Amino acid sequence: MTYDASAEREGRPGARPAADPTFWGRLTGWGPYHVLMRIATASPRRQFAILAAFPILWVLTQHLGPMLQMLRVSLTDAYPVAPGVEQSFTLENYARFFGDSIFWMPFFRTLTFAAVFTFCTLVITYPVAYFLARHVSRRNQMLFLLLLLIPFWVGEIVRTYAIMILLGNTGAVNMVLRFFGLIDRPIPFMYTSFSMGVGIVYLTALYMLLPLYSALEKLPKSMNEAAADLGAGAWTRFRRISLPMTIEGISSGCTLVFLISTGFYATPILLGGPSTTVFAETIAGFFHVAGDEWPTGAAFATIMFAAALVITAAFQRLMNALRKGDRT
Amino acid sequence: MSKLIYNRRRFLGTAAATGAALASPAYLRRAMAQGSGEVNIWTYNDFVPESFKEQFESETGIKVNVRLVDDQGKQFNLLAAEQPNPTVDIMTVAGHRFLQFIDSELLAPLDTDRLSNWGNINPTFSESDWATINGNKWGAPILSGMEVLSYNTDYVTEEEALTWDTLFSEKYSGQTAYIIQDMMSIVMLMMGYDGNMVAYMDDPEKAAQIVEEAKQFLIEHKPLVRKYYDGGAEFQQMMVNQDIVLGHSWNGPAAALINDGFPLGMTIPREGSYGFVYTYNIANNAPNVDNAYTFLDAILASPEIGASMTKASGFISTYKGADQYLTELEKKSTSFPEEQLANLQFFRAEANDMKYSLLDPAVEAIKAA
Amino acid sequence: MNNRPELFRGNRIFLACIYWAFVLYVFVPLILMVLMGFKDSKFIGFPIRSWTLDWYTGVFADAEVISTFGYSVAIAVLSTLISIFVGTWIAVLLEGRKFTGRGVTFGLTVLPALVPGIISAIAFRIYARYLGIEPGMGAIIWAHAVHNVPFVVLVVMARLSTLPKSQIEAARDLGADPLVAFMRITLPYLVPAILGASIFCLLLSFDDFVRSFFLGGYDPTLPVLIFAKLRSGMSPEINAIATVALVLTAAIGIWAERFTRRMNKEN
Repeated sequence: MTYDASAEREGRPGARPAADPTFWGRLTGWGPYHVLMRIATASPRRQFAILAAFPILWVLTQHLGPMLQMLRVSLTDAYPVAPGVEQSFTLENYARFFGDSIFWMPFFRTLTFAAVFTFCTLVITYPVAYFLARHVSRRNQMLFLLLLLIPFWVGEIVRTYAIMILLGNTGAVNMVLRFFGLIDRPIPFMYTSFSMGVGIVYLTALYMLLPLYSALEKLPKSMNEAAADLGAGAWTRFRRISLPMTIEGISSGCTLVFLISTGFYATPILLGGPSTTVFAETIAGFFHVAGDEWPTGAAFATIMFAAALVITAAFQRLMNALRKGDRT
Repeated sequence: MSKLIYNRRRFLGTAAATGAALASPAYLRRAMAQGSGEVNIWTYNDFVPESFKEQFESETGIKVNVRLVDDQGKQFNLLAAEQPNPTVDIMTVAGHRFLQFIDSELLAPLDTDRLSNWGNINPTFSESDWATINGNKWGAPILSGMEVLSYNTDYVTEEEALTWDTLFSEKYSGQTAYIIQDMMSIVMLMMGYDGNMVAYMDDPEKAAQIVEEAKQFLIEHKPLVRKYYDGGAEFQQMMVNQDIVLGHSWNGPAAALINDGFPLGMTIPREGSYGFVYTYNIANNAPNVDNAYTFLDAILASPEIGASMTKASGFISTYKGADQYLTELEKKSTSFPEEQLANLQFFRAEANDMKYSLLDPAVEAIKAA
Repeated sequence: MNNRPELFRGNRIFLACIYWAFVLYVFVPLILMVLMGFKDSKFIGFPIRSWTLDWYTGVFADAEVISTFGYSVAIAVLSTLISIFVGTWIAVLLEGRKFTGRGVTFGLTVLPALVPGIISAIAFRIYARYLGIEPGMGAIIWAHAVHNVPFVVLVVMARLSTLPKSQIEAARDLGADPLVAFMRITLPYLVPAILGASIFCLLLSFDDFVRSFFLGGYDPTLPVLIFAKLRSGMSPEINAIATVALVLTAAIGIWAERFTRRMNKEN
């Protein structure tokens, strides 16, 4: 869709814009609107203020607001407050985390899992995105990409149960392996960090695929060809050209996936085993029990988010350094 | 998220607590409690048989509104927030949760004289010690459930399933599962203690020591378990997939598997186990009290209704003679030999505050171990 | 350079294999889901001894499922409209403009996308209580809309950065004020990005369980209903519901895509 200037000319030639029969034309010609617009655009400063007011108000109240509110709750001793009870501020909720080692294990486990699964997602989706962006004709790219999006229309729970009947002892994979005589006893895939990984990569692949795809798509084809002309092998071309050029896509994909995987709840619980309890489960536990545990839950959630942000920031730095290192 | 939904016994209500606190009576009244030709019920999926509902509506002209709930805590929190003008008339409480509801003045005592069909309930349930509190009856028992040991009959013998020890044996290493909170009570029972902890209400030190002992036992046996699960659906899936051949479960989900033709058996092991009873209760200040009594009397009218609740949920009917309407398979899936039933005791509420303040951290510790 | 096409072909085949393996990984669970809806049993899983169509026909007979589906679609559409409106506005503010606090504004804009699901649900819950928003449809729409704004902003900004400046200038020269110039030039140019972002938003909203669960009132959304049904077991019924929902949403999506394409052509 491009702007068609002829639409403007279709009205009576030489007429004021008011004669423009389109809605916008008529609106422009309408007196009160005209006055309003003149006031709004009187100075660039005012124009900017009008443009910026709503978005800034929105992000402050809607985006920052919930997080600040959670922070506030994490610093109180009771929430929701029962009538007649005095609420006071305390750091106790945070102290509880650092004071009891039983919380550290799921906490560090969650961060480790998130990092490992992020890496797995990257390794699995990179070739897929590469194929899509480089080897599929432009006309078909959208189609191929949409093909991969379809499964995300299915709810997390149904998908998770489908993975159970895929990996269970009588599941599809064991059935196939048995049919070909590769095994005689089923392999217990389920309720391990493996089955959890299969489920989580499934959920995160999309968030990795899209940034990688758009980074790879921008990469000029000619560069690879030139390198091939110079006799560079596939691996060298990948390492020297594609990888450095797409580091931005990798970095944003990994950031997104890492942060999202620290918050997974249903999938780890349903697919994980006795030794894969994640921190989200611990946090949720505080919201299940009596109301006076909410602040502790909020404090733990804050700790989790802060830790995830710190790790992501460090990761971004590393990526930036890598990128700069490559340029010199 | 299954934990949010299924965990019957903990004091739940994440969403509910807030939901309750936020929902203004005006909003709820619009949806639920206008007019007089209605009765509003909070209950579990399948607890009001569809055919009964239709018949009741056409015969009495009273419209039945059912809101499906997932757990006790959710109902408690919602109701607590709605009082003194609740939108609900009838709710479904587990007997051992009575105390909490009654202490908060959320339930109205049940006037059994207004229920001509009260006598249709098996006295084992209607006259039990937990059923009368402060000299009053508080609910009409409808279904009963219990903690059982379920086993795949192709792999495990009934003899083995008669003791909880088998659940912790090397032989079935990696093929077992249990709900960890429930298992704590049972382990205490296995060790010869009172899993309800009523006996230690005056001796918190002893109580703490017992919980610690049970906790150590479960940590020690952690390498043998395949999965700590939360919901009945998970248990059923593990059995169907043969990821486990033996596990602790509630009888309802296990019975549903048996009725579907799965080779499953269940026992109440000799060390004992715990049972619970779901009751229909009338809310304090219920908006349609008369309709609520009409509904309760109607639903208690025939053992056939009790049987259809059993068919749908897998829990055991409290109605006299309900089993004559069950198929052989359904009977098998909802009955136990006398000598096993003798091992059963009911969950009690008196010590819940102390019990769960000790149990919750222990459960976290086991998971983290 | 004769060997070049061959060299690339080897890579290509290798990569194609990986792509299709990935498609397989993504689709096998789906195929299992559809298949299990035909199982004549109350539980999903192998072996399947007999088959039935009852679960699928039952979905259409179940008024609750149908109304819940409609409720979820309504939530998805309304929240998407809000996200698109807000997200596009923010994108227009942020793209190609330098002002103090731009970095902070951008950071705050993407914040909801970075907050892990459960934490975001809880934060919304607490904030809703603080604002006095009642749980129910409005609260769910609000949470979904806020959560999806960042995705709209990112997609729209990318498209906006490729808009030739000359077109806007030409319109301004013809006397169009900024609003008219935006509506007649920028917005039509953004249509593909907005459509793409809409699909993403609809999908995120339709599939969301955590936020819907925490902010929901009396009526369940489809994922929440599935959870309630799960209490009596993971039956083929749930698979049938999910499959029908998938097919219906896909059909609606394709119809909407065709429809907008036709509209664009007619214009």
